[in-house]
Amino acid sequence: MIETLSNADQASRTSPRLLPAVRMLWRDKFALAAAIFLLVAAGCAIFGHTFLSDAASSQNLRGRNSPPFSVEQGWLFILGADALGRPLLARIIVAARNTLMIAGGAVLCSMAVGAALGLVAGYTSKFVSQVIMRLADVIMSFPSLLLAVIVLYMLPPSVTNLVIVLAITRIPVYLRTTRAEVLEIRERMFVQAAKVMGASHLRIIFRHILPIVAPTLLTIATLDFAFVMLAESSLSFLGIGIQPPDITWGLMVSQGRPYLSTAWWLAFWPGLAIILTTLSLNLLSNWMRVALDPVQRWRLEGTSQNNSAETAND
Amino acid sequence: MIRLIRQRTIASFISLIGLIVLVFFLSRLTGDPTDLFLPIDATQEMRDQFRRLHGFDRPLIEQFGAYVWDLLHLDFGDSIRRAQPAIWVVLNAFVWTLQLALITMTLVTVCAIVVGSLAAFRAGGFFDRAASLVSLIGASAPDFWIAIVAIVLFSVQLAWLPTSGTGTVLHWILPIAVLFIRPFGLLVQVVRGSMLSALSSAYVKTARAKGVKNFPLIFVHTLRNAMLPVITVMGDQAAALLNGAVVIESIFGFPGVGKLMIDSILQRDFNVVLASIMVTAIAIFIMNLLIDMAYAVLDPRIRY
Amino acid sequence: MGRKILLVGTALALTPLPAMAQGNNEITIVLNEEVDLMEPCMATRSNIGRVVMQNINETLTELDVQGDEGLMPRLAESWEDMGEGTWRFHLRQGVTFSDGSTFDAEDVKYSFERAFSDQITCESPRYFADTDLSFEVVDEHTIDITAAPVQPILPLLMTLVTIVPSDTPVEFVREPIGTGPYVLSEWNVGQNIILERRDDYWGEAPEVTKATYVVRGEAAVRAAMVETGEADIAPTISDVDADNPETDFAYPNSETLYLRLDHSMEPLNDVRVRRALNMAIDREAFIGTLMPEGTEIAVAMVPPTTLGWNDEIEPIAFDPEGASALLEEARADGVKVDTQIQLVGRTNNYPNVTEVMEALGAMLTDVGFNIDLQMYEVAEFENLYSKPFPENRPPQMLAALHDNSRGDPVFSMYFKYHTDGTQSGFSDPHVDELIAEATAAAGEEREALWSELFAYLYEEKVADVMLFHMVGLARVAEHIDWRPTIATNSQLQLSEISFK
Repeated sequence: MIETLSNADQASRTSPRLLPAVRMLWRDKFALAAAIFLLVAAGCAIFGHTFLSDAASSQNLRGRNSPPFSVEQGWLFILGADALGRPLLARIIVAARNTLMIAGGAVLCSMAVGAALGLVAGYTSKFVSQVIMRLADVIMSFPSLLLAVIVLYMLPPSVTNLVIVLAITRIPVYLRTTRAEVLEIRERMFVQAAKVMGASHLRIIFRHILPIVAPTLLTIATLDFAFVMLAESSLSFLGIGIQPPDITWGLMVSQGRPYLSTAWWLAFWPGLAIILTTLSLNLLSNWMRVALDPVQRWRLEGTSQNNSAETAND
Repeated sequence: MIRLIRQRTIASFISLIGLIVLVFFLSRLTGDPTDLFLPIDATQEMRDQFRRLHGFDRPLIEQFGAYVWDLLHLDFGDSIRRAQPAIWVVLNAFVWTLQLALITMTLVTVCAIVVGSLAAFRAGGFFDRAASLVSLIGASAPDFWIAIVAIVLFSVQLAWLPTSGTGTVLHWILPIAVLFIRPFGLLVQVVRGSMLSALSSAYVKTARAKGVKNFPLIFVHTLRNAMLPVITVMGDQAAALLNGAVVIESIFGFPGVGKLMIDSILQRDFNVVLASIMVTAIAIFIMNLLIDMAYAVLDPRIRY
Repeated sequence: MGRKILLVGTALALTPLPAMAQGNNEITIVLNEEVDLMEPCMATRSNIGRVVMQNINETLTELDVQGDEGLMPRLAESWEDMGEGTWRFHLRQGVTFSDGSTFDAEDVKYSFERAFSDQITCESPRYFADTDLSFEVVDEHTIDITAAPVQPILPLLMTLVTIVPSDTPVEFVREPIGTGPYVLSEWNVGQNIILERRDDYWGEAPEVTKATYVVRGEAAVRAAMVETGEADIAPTISDVDADNPETDFAYPNSETLYLRLDHSMEPLNDVRVRRALNMAIDREAFIGTLMPEGTEIAVAMVPPTTLGWNDEIEPIAFDPEGASALLEEARADGVKVDTQIQLVGRTNNYPNVTEVMEALGAMLTDVGFNIDLQMYEVAEFENLYSKPFPENRPPQMLAALHDNSRGDPVFSMYFKYHTDGTQSGFSDPHVDELIAEATAAAGEEREALWSELFAYLYEEKVADVMLFHMVGLARVAEHIDWRPTIATNSQLQLSEISFK
């Protein structure tokens, strides 16, 4: 009886909650554009391979490096062709899958592991904290390239293995950030109060500490997304990352590098895809931080509530 | 503070030992340098002789024992490629990296704190939007792309700066400028985010509600409190710089430790790999110690 | 604290560093590979040779790469065959090393002994793999060198061993002492290497008084440095940057690109399949697109300037229908032509390597092969390239570059095609026999035997997929009078450079 009630309660709460979210998104045009772009990119990642993988790999040496903004060879060539005469637009769409899977996988894994370890390190005994921090030190001073060479020497350069390499190297930044914030937050009044009132450690961590740490982690994660995409590109360039015939945006950028002065579009479009993805993620995360923060939400809820919200908060 | 330093030194020493063991055994999993050093059509005798001369024919654990024994006598072994003591090779390169990292990080920190907190001060305003956009684009553009475009523009077309190399102060401008962009973009975002949450916290609200006239003073106090995550991210960026900037070093022909490390890894010149990891690790440990000391100074509630 | 760091930083940055002053007869050369050693006995390795070979350390004989004089005297003035494997070399008189000591026969003997010592891993011994050398000093300026078994091209092999003074330690040196026209004056590791002209050189004094070598990994930067006047010669730039016919020159760089086939398993053990592979590739389409203009289609492992070059061999023509037909024929005979074949490339092997590999893969797929393209880093690649080959490998084709600018096929054929050759993908008694005979022969007989071997390998055996003789591109400042040659990859003689 209670269960059904709460379910019904939830159902009735989610639908009106979703609407304000869309409305709030509508208020922030930048965030809206970002959300749309990310949806498109995700669409490319999911469907691009099915429809365009043939077009993306059909070579034509005579039409190599053909310049952008011409549709003589078909609309797929609107962004120009690469060094083997393959349409850049099709390749960017097909490459979206590997790129987003690698970057997303690596960022999520490193954030989850890093944040978990950071929470533990900041919250538990000194000894455990010390062990975790020394581990972070070891990872931090272990050159990521050496790690990549070792892992990818023994395992084939697949998407999963690349995610492992990139995730490991990015753990320390989340770990250290989380721990630093936890150290500060756990001394705050409300955490101390919760402790005194007998709240369990888990409850304190998840209800009181994590929500405060999360925005910072999110900011770092969105920026890390770009970092990981670029790191993946330099690994490909050094011959230890994803290799052709597989493609990623990073690989496309590094393959277009020799042509920077003669055929700029080879490296420019995939680079632009990387920049736009990061930019969108960041705008969206900025928006989300405001939208999720009860104190700042008024900024997105329309001008009429502006004053009342401010006075109420003050 | 003295206790902090002592504790940290001991802890770092333990991590360093872990690092050496890890790198020694892991790197040897990727084969030995014989085939890479000798010409492709070298005879089997030459290969055997090379392995014997450099001890690669001995069991791994014996090689490790010998390495540790030498290390205890402060002998880091010789570079196979360069026929020089590995530590000498590494220190030579590290001096350059250290200078580059220090100058870049100083500039980044100052600029990012100023730009980031100004952006947070009027969140959502024009400056905020512009700063976010520019710093984000900078942070997500491939650095080799920026580097080559910068050389083509400033050295070839405009002929203002030398293309690459070392020698005069002018040679440093392009590498530093290109290195600056990414950590700057990241740090601006972190400063801004951290400032925003600090400005919306209770004590600032209270101070404002109480009608404190001197808002800049509050701002400075907020900044001080918002510094913790900033310092953490800064440390991460500085660590990356201390590990060397491979791309920038190889494009600008800068004799830093990043290029040395990647070359040594690819050539399996293990002694140089180990020595450079030790040198950069010690530098990073020292930096982390400074960061922890900074935490303690900024927030007296933090105890170690 | 922040301010302190800033001060230290700027102080270090402002520390005066040796400036690269450019006088009239001083030049700067921008190389693409780091010079890690300056060891004379390693001078056959290209990154070291370009600085050391004939500039600091000289050899007894020298191969003429400018004209067609063949073998020329250098530290040996003349040589004669004494029979039974012994050659007598008459050494040049009045030659001094840069440390002041006089060059004599003892130095020659010592240089060989040092290079062959088991206390040091030099490059030179590989050229004398199964040959035992013994030395007899006749007088101060005459030496007898005896090779067992008989070595008809011993004088040519003398181009590969650099001469050092007899008090050089038997370990890698970083300050080479030689008889050459230049001496190492400064080596600022990671920054530059400076050679200065010697006043007491035995030969004609070269025009260049001082040469500074710098290294830049990025081809675009090397090209830009010559353009801006920061450097005078860039021996290797990339095709896309070579846009100025006044300064940019293509030259055959003595490298040959080929696919090494592993004949030990199906379907590559079938000659029709190997022929089909050759017919499936449109080599013409690469030239001027992915490969620079001037690249030549290869029919043998060595460049056309090599002894025994057989110009009667016709390249296998591009014929996709013919290739498919051959495949079908093989299939009808029960050959498993649908087996997946691994096509292996090496990352950063030459400019455009990835694109070339992808194009090759696509062409082979088009005629019906089942191709799996893999790109490996150099260490992993060498593992697959040289024996012992890994167990349980799939059928493989390796795209490898082979460099032979030494004028004789002996430096290639044994390793690449003999049953015991480290990179040989097959075993054929007829090939083994021809290699043995040619190696022991001299003069026209040698030439004919090599020619026969080339034809047999390409036309009957279809041993592998020969692709291209590669070209390099150099950028030379307009005031410099110097042109790259086939030897530029391995040596760059400063004495050949003059000013306009």
